[in-house]
Amino acid sequence: MPTPVTSEVAVLDGQAGSAQALPDFSSEAYKDAYSRINAIVIEGEQEAHDNYISLGTLIPEQADELARLARMEMKHMKGFMSCGRNLGVEADMPFAKEFFGPLHGNFQTALKEGKVVTCLLIQALLIEAFAISAYHIYIPVADPFARKITEGVVKDEYTHLNYGQEWLKANFEASREELMEANKVNLPLIRSMLEQVAKDAAVLKMEKEDLIEDFLIAYQEALEEIGFTSRDIARMAAAALSI
Amino acid sequence: MFGLIGHSTSFEAARRKASELGFDHIAEGDLDVWCSAPPQLVEHVEVTSATGRTIQGAYIDSCFVPEMLSRFKTARRKVLNAMELAQKKGIDITALGGFTSIIFENFNLLQHQHVRSTTLAWERFTTGNTHTAWVICRQVENNAPALGIDLKKASVAVVGATGDIGSAVCRWLSSRTGVAELLLVARQQKPLEELREELGGGRILSLEDALPEADVVVWVASMPRTLEIDTSRLKTPCLMIDGGYPKNLDARVAAKGIHVLKGGIVEFFTDIGWSMMEIAEMEKPQRQMFACFAEAMLLEFESHHTNFSWGRNNITLEKMDFIGGASVRHGFTTLNLQGLPQAAVA
Repeated sequence: MPTPVTSEVAVLDGQAGSAQALPDFSSEAYKDAYSRINAIVIEGEQEAHDNYISLGTLIPEQADELARLARMEMKHMKGFMSCGRNLGVEADMPFAKEFFGPLHGNFQTALKEGKVVTCLLIQALLIEAFAISAYHIYIPVADPFARKITEGVVKDEYTHLNYGQEWLKANFEASREELMEANKVNLPLIRSMLEQVAKDAAVLKMEKEDLIEDFLIAYQEALEEIGFTSRDIARMAAAALSI
Repeated sequence: MFGLIGHSTSFEAARRKASELGFDHIAEGDLDVWCSAPPQLVEHVEVTSATGRTIQGAYIDSCFVPEMLSRFKTARRKVLNAMELAQKKGIDITALGGFTSIIFENFNLLQHQHVRSTTLAWERFTTGNTHTAWVICRQVENNAPALGIDLKKASVAVVGATGDIGSAVCRWLSSRTGVAELLLVARQQKPLEELREELGGGRILSLEDALPEADVVVWVASMPRTLEIDTSRLKTPCLMIDGGYPKNLDARVAAKGIHVLKGGIVEFFTDIGWSMMEIAEMEKPQRQMFACFAEAMLLEFESHHTNFSWGRNNITLEKMDFIGGASVRHGFTTLNLQGLPQAAVA
């Protein structure tokens, strides 16, 4: 394509090479925001653990594999607890419980009704895609200790996303309608969770715009892998964009 | 498979297109919604060359719109995410269209090779600048004589002479066409002097001084919004090739004897069954396209999977010969002035 530099682009020339500045990890503002973000991550991993164990009751033939995934989530949770300790931050767990409340409720309802598809969509697709995108954005701006831990975690989370994908792919036709419905109900929750966390995330130098786009990329990839057409996916994802 | 990464020419155009495609929720969203919208592979296409070779391609809309240029991080993310998508889709060679390559170059995205868990393989991408430069040169060679301009006696001004395309155009014009004189115009003095040394000729001038002397002006730099061109000082006839992006020269120099030609545009010999080219606002969207897009198609036709055009000032005459030969062979012609008798295309 032509190389010309438009005046708008030229103005921004100077920014190009600058590396991303890290936040001041010891500042009160950082620690305050971190107390909630760290709690969300810890609670998220705890919920993931519990959800995989619960899923094992719905898919008994895969209970062992699900228990293995659950153990990984437990390990992640401990890793993230140490990140908080390392910065001298106490995680605000009551906040995190409330944060996950609506999604937790929906998972529990689906579990009681034996809706495997809805449970998988909530845990293995939505929550895992949310985690993957947030961890990827966090890594470049994390403190060195947390960075190392998060890099290890993110590799595992792909395995979990993949688990849900594979199951839903194998049962795509039978799951399709329930997936659409579960998406409609739960994707807006993820979006509002992103909104709630945006201000604190910004203190950690994680921007809302990045979080939403990266989440959608991970989620759309999963839906595509499962078998949805790109038009279906764009329509399903619109629920996350248009708030 | 070849790929094209493109975008709409404005936010309004992007919304219209999304609405046409049935993506109403996104179409109705404001600019913030678009800033968070992931890239989309919107169309697959099959193209058969004049030689009979058939290839597959895909069009990726980065969901970037020019209104995002002032948001540096957004623009950067749009480009990198679109490139990641192209690579994940297994596309062998993808052209960076419109602002995509400009953002890539100006924001130095070479230092952002890692996008989440993907390491971008640069050899899968091309700026398409070699083909663009070749097409612009052919447009000069074909259209100047049609206006009665003899290149052997003509002065050709290249505005943006030190850029990737500009320097390639200078190389070609000075060694292949025997133009009487090259007038070299660019912002920075040092690269201009180096270019003149490399070319073994050419005169360095300011834009203001160059324009009244030029029989042909090749614009490969965009103009500041405030730039006004005094058409009464221009030679007549004068051939102006608008090789910049976006193309906005026409209205500024409308005057008798001044002939503006959209530069770096090619036309395929037959209709291509795609719908996305409409967003590039071509006159014949089924056949016409930016030469940079066509470069990805040519590299696929030739099974030449490599970042053929990459970095700055790497375009050699040999590369221009290769891509130009392929362009003709596979059925592309360069866009010419309308209503004038045309010389044969190379």
